Parts: sequence; C-alpha cells; structure tokens
Amino acid sequence: MTSLIANHLSYAYGKEYVLKDISLELKSGTLTALVGPNGAGKSTLLRLLQGQSLPHQGAIFLDAHPLGINRRQVALMPQRSSINWNFPITVEDLVALGQVNAANKSCCETEASLQRVGLSALAKKRLDSLSGGQQQRALLAKTLAQNATVFLLDEPCAALDPPSRSQFLRIVRQLAEAGLTVVVSSHDWGQALNAYDKVIALDRTVLAFGTPDEVRNKLQSISSMGNHCCG
Amino acid sequence: MALLVGMLCPATGAVLITHRRLLQANLISHAVVPGLVLALFLGIDPALGGVFSGLIGALVAERLALKRNGENEAVTNTVLAGTLGLGVLLIPLLEIRVDLESILFGDLLAVGSIDLIRILLSAIALLLLLKTSYQKLVYLGLDPDGASANGLRISSLRLALGFVTALVIVSSMAAVGVVLVIGLLSTPALFGLYQATSLHSAMIRSAGYGILISFIGFWLAMAFNLSPGPLISCLCLGSLAIQRKV
Repeated sequence: MTSLIANHLSYAYGKEYVLKDISLELKSGTLTALVGPNGAGKSTLLRLLQGQSLPHQGAIFLDAHPLGINRRQVALMPQRSSINWNFPITVEDLVALGQVNAANKSCCETEASLQRVGLSALAKKRLDSLSGGQQQRALLAKTLAQNATVFLLDEPCAALDPPSRSQFLRIVRQLAEAGLTVVVSSHDWGQALNAYDKVIALDRTVLAFGTPDEVRNKLQSISSMGNHCCG
Repeated sequence: MALLVGMLCPATGAVLITHRRLLQANLISHAVVPGLVLALFLGIDPALGGVFSGLIGALVAERLALKRNGENEAVTNTVLAGTLGLGVLLIPLLEIRVDLESILFGDLLAVGSIDLIRILLSAIALLLLLKTSYQKLVYLGLDPDGASANGLRISSLRLALGFVTALVIVSSMAAVGVVLVIGLLSTPALFGLYQATSLHSAMIRSAGYGILISFIGFWLAMAFNLSPGPLISCLCLGSLAIQRKV
C-alpha cells in the first residue's frame, strides 16, 4: 500500500504564501480530484507533492519515508500548455521518454503504457497529427511509463470535449482500480465530482477534503466555484 | 567547406528550433564579435575568443531575463545589440586592423585550412552532444518542465547546446559570416522539420536541404563573383517563400 502524506505544507513566492498549512493523505487505489479556482495553488501543490519544488514549511512522506529518496515513485503529468506539441516525435517515442531517467528500465513498458491508454494503433503516428484527446492520452502513457505508484495529473482535461473527458476519466479510474494513487487537478467542478473517490477543495489552503458528498456538505457555496469538471 | 557549413548549420538549427533557442543563437552570433576582436588583440585564436564571448552573452541574457517573466525577447535583443556594439567599439579603441565586413558577412576567399579544422571540431562537438544526450535533448525540447521533474540537469544541457551553437557559428564565420549564419541555421531546418518523425531524422533532412542551398549559393557566388553569405541568405528567403507559396 503506497500512501502519500503531506504534513503542514506551506509555500511562498517571495513573501506571499500561495499554500498554507496543507495536510493530506492520499491512499493507494484512490482517485482524487484536486479542485479550486485559478490561482488556488493546485499546480504548486502538485509540484511539491512530486518533489520538483521544496516546501518552505512542512514535509512529505511516501510510505512513512521522506519523499526525497522515493521521488521517482511519484510522477507528474504537466499541463498541456507546457508541452511543445510541434516537436518532431512519434507517439511511441514520446512514451519511451518516460523511461529516460527511470531506475528500472523495462523493454515492454512503452507498449504496456500505450495499451493502457488505448493508443497502440497510433504508436507510429507523429504527435501533432493526433486529436487533443489522443494527445492527452499519449502524455498520460508517457507518465505511466515512469513506473511510479503515485500519479499527479495537472489539468489533463482542460480543452477536451466531453466525450474525450469521459474517456480520459475512464482510463484514470482503471488505474486507480489497479491499485495506483491518482490525483487529477481541475479548476472546474460540479456533479462530475461523483466520479472520484476523494475530493480536495483548495484555495491556498485545504477548504475541504473527503468524499464528494462530504466536501459538498462542508462547502456551502460549492456552486460559486463553477459547474464543470473533468469527466 | 561550403558543403560542411551547409550540413552542420541546419542540423544544429533543427535542434535550436525545436528547443525554441533560435533567438539565443542569433544573440550568440552577434556576441561572438567582441571576443573575436579581443582575441585578435591578444594574439590568440579568434575562434576561442568568439566562442567564449558568445557563451558569455547568452548567459548574461539568460540571467537578466530571469529577473522578470515575459521579457526574454527584449532582454536578448538588448544584449545582442550591446555586445555587437561593444565589438565594433573595441576595434578603434584597441587600434587593431579587422575586416569587420568579412566577419559579419563572410569571405570565401579568406577560407583556410584552419577554418576547415574548426568546422570539423564543431561537427565532432555536435555528434558528441547527440551521442551522450540525444534522449535528454528530445525530452528537454518537448517538455522542459517534465524533464526537470524527471531529474534531468536542464541548465547543463542548455549550456552544452549553447557551447555547440557558439562553435558552429564561429566556425561558419569565414564562409557565411556571423550575422548571416542565422539564415542557414533557420531555413533548411524549417524544411527538414516538416513532417519529420524524430529529431534525428529532422536533423538529417535539414542537413540535406542545407547542402543543396549552400551548393547553389556558393556556385552562384563563384560564378558571378558575389559574396556567398548574402547570396545564401537571399536563397534561404526565396526558397522559404516558394515553399510557403507566397
């Protein structure tokens, strides 16, 4: 059982705190939504949980060990805007990049990751010839190829049409059912939150953390934050 | 010499375009001038001085651009103009004789065996970079944030790419000049990148287009007794206009 625990995390840009006193426990086999308005600190929190940035206060543990030594067990799928989609690369070569710095490289990981996201048939296609939904699945496959146990997906459904969102969410649900820990961030939320096991409502600090119903009950003004979410 | 320059510049250009570092390459091509002049004054190989000052210019621009987001282009162009201006000022201040025109725009008649050696050394440096870091270069060009998150040493890779770029620019100086080399770094690479399915295939295709453009350019330069640098630049513009059906 892989459990990612954040204890009293705080992070500041200059003198301004963008995250304050964040405490969470993400258990294996759970699909968690990280929701909040723009500027709530979602991407910053994901970077902290992945170990890319260090918290100014607090600590992160993976299975009771400090995150630093186990950092490769946590994989982060970046936002769509950070990818150079015109780069000359095929889908399978993109997915193979997930293994570049992997501790245990596997010959079959690329093919297995492509199968998991249903893109085996498009393996030889150039990345920029895919649709937006297919590109996001290819990026997910690259993240999966990192052989991690915790997956943090930063707004993977942004700019996807509803069918592509549904398909993407089905895939991440299967990953959670396979025992992996999956966190999906979104700045939109609504009834689709029911598709998740847990919800973190964030606005620089944790407003609510629990099942979708628990979070809804805790937050009186849930509708004021929007009504669309991944899926 | 012409074919080597025509092959090496576009191959390097393909990497620079995919890494969105072409503006930096343009900066380096101008920032090599003060180093060249100083090296001539000190009596050392001008290529060494050029590579050194080109890299310093790139590092200064990167450092200054870090202070505020979204100002990279303006900062880079400021450093570009400043370093070129410094190079031009150093010539009278140090009271040395330099053919500035041939540095900026090339002079095929001045090409010697040392230039050939420089080109070969640049090619070796590029091949070494590809041999040791190809996958990492691909990762960095595609997803810089992901590469950083995955533990890749981005600043080291970028420094190595900047070093190779400076070497290529300085070694192409005699043939096409440090200012017009940007044409050979850009246009054939744009053709090569079109529908390429990998960075290395894009580099090979770019090199092929570069050889063709350089061959035609140098042949026309010799046939009509014209300067090859400006001629190749015009050919680059013309071929791009034809490809884009303008």
